[in-house]
Amino acid sequence: MTNTYIESFPAEAKVVRAAFYSSFLALAIGGLFGIIQTLHRTGYYRFIDSADYYTVLTAHGVFLVITFTIFFLVAIFTWAITTSLDRPVEDIRFTWFWYGLMVLGTILAAVPILAGFTDSEMSASVLFTFYAPLQGHPLFYVGLVLFVVGTWLAGADWFRSWLAWKQENPDERIPLPTFMVLTTMLMWYIATLGVAAAILLFLLPWSLGIIESVNPLLTRTLFWFFGHPIVYFWLMPAYMMWYIMLPKISGGKLFSDPLARVVFVLFLILSVPTGIHHQYLDPGIAEGFKFIAMTNTMFLLLPSLLTAFTVVASMEHGARQRGGSGYLGWLKALPWRDPVFAGMALAGLMFAAAGFSGMINAGMNINYLVHNTFWVVGHFHLTVGTGVALTFMAVTYWFLPQVTGKALWNRSVALGQVVLWFVGMTFMSNAMHRAGLLGIPRRTAEPQYEGFEFEAAVGSVGELDAQIALGGLLLTLSLVLFFANIIGTVLNNRSDDLPANGYADTLSGPSDAPLVLDNLKLWTAIAIVLVIFAYTFPLLSIIERGGLFGPELNELPVSIGLGLEYLWTTVVTTVTSGVDTAIAIITGVR
Amino acid sequence: MRISKGALLIVIAFTAPLIVELRTVLAWVNVELTVLESVVLSIGLIVLILVWALWPQEGTPQATE
Repeated sequence: MTNTYIESFPAEAKVVRAAFYSSFLALAIGGLFGIIQTLHRTGYYRFIDSADYYTVLTAHGVFLVITFTIFFLVAIFTWAITTSLDRPVEDIRFTWFWYGLMVLGTILAAVPILAGFTDSEMSASVLFTFYAPLQGHPLFYVGLVLFVVGTWLAGADWFRSWLAWKQENPDERIPLPTFMVLTTMLMWYIATLGVAAAILLFLLPWSLGIIESVNPLLTRTLFWFFGHPIVYFWLMPAYMMWYIMLPKISGGKLFSDPLARVVFVLFLILSVPTGIHHQYLDPGIAEGFKFIAMTNTMFLLLPSLLTAFTVVASMEHGARQRGGSGYLGWLKALPWRDPVFAGMALAGLMFAAAGFSGMINAGMNINYLVHNTFWVVGHFHLTVGTGVALTFMAVTYWFLPQVTGKALWNRSVALGQVVLWFVGMTFMSNAMHRAGLLGIPRRTAEPQYEGFEFEAAVGSVGELDAQIALGGLLLTLSLVLFFANIIGTVLNNRSDDLPANGYADTLSGPSDAPLVLDNLKLWTAIAIVLVIFAYTFPLLSIIERGGLFGPELNELPVSIGLGLEYLWTTVVTTVTSGVDTAIAIITGVR
Repeated sequence: MRISKGALLIVIAFTAPLIVELRTVLAWVNVELTVLESVVLSIGLIVLILVWALWPQEGTPQATE
């Protein structure tokens, strides 16, 4: 018998497994909408009405970037806490409760989204960016609230485990995986305050008819308060895998535990005060506030660059342990045949490319050129669509045997799957970025306009569409292979020949990390202060101009509008009567 | 083989970004390729990689991983 996770924590393994399956179901549904959308938009195969495109887009976005990613991360966070603290959760019934709440929230939110395809009046075709003036059915907002509350309770579950462990180990440093989970959840608690306020105070009462209107700019700003840090909520679990699993699978050790802690602390304090960089093109927010958001965003490059250094250094250490040598020759010694390693390494590489397009998005002046174009879609297909999703799929090949006790169905298929995802996303995201540079818009079923043609510097728009469609097909094929492997593994018999549960050792361990890094209260306080600095004045300014509940109108344009209308009426009346008089005179003369 | 089969697969996958941007790079030096020419060139590139990888290397043990 091997020391797998299911053997060490059988009760927790059931919850983790359930969360994985929920995640994979969302991936299947979201992926299906992805290929429908790709073929429709590129014009290769259209069987839905273009009016339903927004519903497809909403389902694709919500199921993938919220449901797939977050169910997956609660699974690996539960694994990380129990494994690194080496103790079960305090009350497994509570763990099942928050998981159940997340499932209930997902179902409630999914019903109105999918109802958008029917003749029912119920719909929530509001995209992942569900701010006003788009309005969804109340059930959608209730579902989101329950889902987020489920994640809050999950966090409480993990904090509870840590506090219990701390009482028994008062002088021990927080184990690295637990440290990563706790800092990520602290970031999440702060970030979700924005979306909780947006839904509970404005969007839900508005959709229920309790209040007549909302301030669209206010709900947008509250959404992005949460909408950017949620990117890190997806990303930090992927980073956790790159830090604690990738070095182990490379055959070595994590280069530096202290550096990993610094990175997660930086994400905690810098993730939230950046959301306004999604609003560079929003009127009603002063340039100065946008500039502050840009500066904060640029600081966020630091933890990502530190991660690139640490992860590559760890991989190099692993490769040299395996006999690799030379400046670049060590790359050959890495376990490229292992889908877990190859998938994570390819995901990291694509994420580096996403970092470069992210820098472009973050810069105020360049953002103006690409903001509402396909470029942005290309960018997040590299970040969440590859950096995160490919990492999650790759580590599934390690985790699924751990939580089922069954060997992976087919390692070669798994390797082919991760490579196919990389190639498919290369075609798709490259063409999306290039299309964005031509000014081709996003969020529309039919980006073409009559009497206007987009012109590519090299090749043609038709070729870009072909690349996107080809990419979409390869990604869909990759998903089919992924699910074939999942189903094959689940149907396998139990195996006694599985690797033991665990994560990477470190070259420079926790004892080398300054004690202050483990002071979670301090970092949380700093994070809150930075949020207050970044958001107090923009929010006050928005409320002052548009009111809490009113559409953002003020008296001046209204009076100007009335004046122009009066002037126009007077001019038209005068001209008409003048013409009539002239005609009468002329007629009379005749 | 100079590299393992797994590494060879990854190297071929790495050519995908090169292939899709090859026309742009060549256009900078005023070499304009059609889609067909790009595809032929890409296949040639992959064949070259295969030949390099599969060519036996003297005095080097066969990679197995």
